[in-house]
Amino acid sequence: MPDHENRPHTHHAGRPRALRLGVAGPVGTGKSSILAALCRALAPELSMAVVTNDIYTDEDARFLRSAGVLPTERIRAVETGACPHTAIRDDVTANLDAVEDLEEAYGPLDLVLVESGGDNLTATFSPALADAQLFCIDVAGGGDVARKGGPGITGADLLIVNKTDLAPHVEVDVAAMVADAEAARDGLPVLALSRKDPASVAELADWVRALLVRHRAGVHVPTDPGPMAPHRHA
Amino acid sequence: MGALAALLLGDGRLPVGGHTYSAGLEPAVAAGLTRDRVPALLRARLRTTAVTEAAGAVLALRAAHRTPVAYEPVQRALAARMPAAPQREVSATLGRGVHRLARRLAPDHPAVTALAGLGSRPLRPVAFGALGALGAVMGVTAAELAHAVVHDELQTVAAAALKLLPGDPLDSVAWLLAARPDAESAVELALAVRTPDGLPARAAPLTEQWALDHARRERRLFLA
Repeated sequence: MPDHENRPHTHHAGRPRALRLGVAGPVGTGKSSILAALCRALAPELSMAVVTNDIYTDEDARFLRSAGVLPTERIRAVETGACPHTAIRDDVTANLDAVEDLEEAYGPLDLVLVESGGDNLTATFSPALADAQLFCIDVAGGGDVARKGGPGITGADLLIVNKTDLAPHVEVDVAAMVADAEAARDGLPVLALSRKDPASVAELADWVRALLVRHRAGVHVPTDPGPMAPHRHA
Repeated sequence: MGALAALLLGDGRLPVGGHTYSAGLEPAVAAGLTRDRVPALLRARLRTTAVTEAAGAVLALRAAHRTPVAYEPVQRALAARMPAAPQREVSATLGRGVHRLARRLAPDHPAVTALAGLGSRPLRPVAFGALGALGAVMGVTAAELAHAVVHDELQTVAAAALKLLPGDPLDSVAWLLAARPDAESAVELALAVRTPDGLPARAAPLTEQWALDHARRERRLFLA
């Protein structure tokens, strides 16, 4: 093969290429904050880069650049033509280009985070783009979101129930929401997260570290949570 | 494979990044273009940039069928006819998606390996020509390829209009049908080009200015 693109798990010299971790979930659930938290926790030990997909080019990228958690040139935004779900699933060309450009410019990288444009409960990453994915919901979206399911909730490598610090204000029982999610996920992990709870952020970082170890050992197999589920606009 | 392949080449669902491109519509809208002027924009592009695109693809297709395959003259002639740097960059970005598809389909085909031998990323017409030359997989005639390129140009504008200038989607079909005479002459002009030196260089100064403006814009939906 003339290049490494058709060999998804190895870099030019046979070294495993960077782990590509997708972060998906509905609008406003805290994806950008999770990216910032991961950069803050892991950038001191890993070589990282970020690709954002937003409705308009670079809102999320600007948020992350201004957060100062990563050198600004390592944060790229891609245009999605107002089709954020297409860009992470049906046609991942623009995102692959951005990931490859970052690897070429700053590689070898350990971890590339790809943030989806906030879509609905049904948008998940294609394994052609992401080796693994987080799906993010939050307590403010309502305690029954986890029970409603959808491919991200049931099949993402890690489900995050975010903003647990808001639970008392929105009358949501976090433990019950996590239990609902666990029941929907058939053994896959669920993490209750708040950026104000350092222990939960540390747990998230540890999960990514463990995933990276499996990726490097060649034992992590990217799985597809499934396609866009049928959805109604009632 | 010809007829089916030609339809695939012109299908907006081909996963090569086309959904990120508005074929100049978003820059035009930012400059004040209104919905009633979309047919005029289509005509303008069919008489200028679309002829160059289609002719470049046809020249690349013919180059791909010769031994050894040499795309440089076509690539250089195309670049010289895209005076605004953002237009060349966008063409290279779109070509990269087509190149990735060609590599997946036939990584060892001479028409594909020659793309990597260019000093820069293949511009989209060059990559399309290479893809169209993959006989057993994607082989098309020059006329089929030129039609696919022109059709793609029209549909790209029409699809982007649904996001940028919302209206009845059925209108856009009527726009495309109304543009048919200009589309057919663009194809004829493209097929008549025999050498890279003869590649039409029809100036579209507003398109170029808008492309330059768009490259500096922050809140955009489309690459160009």
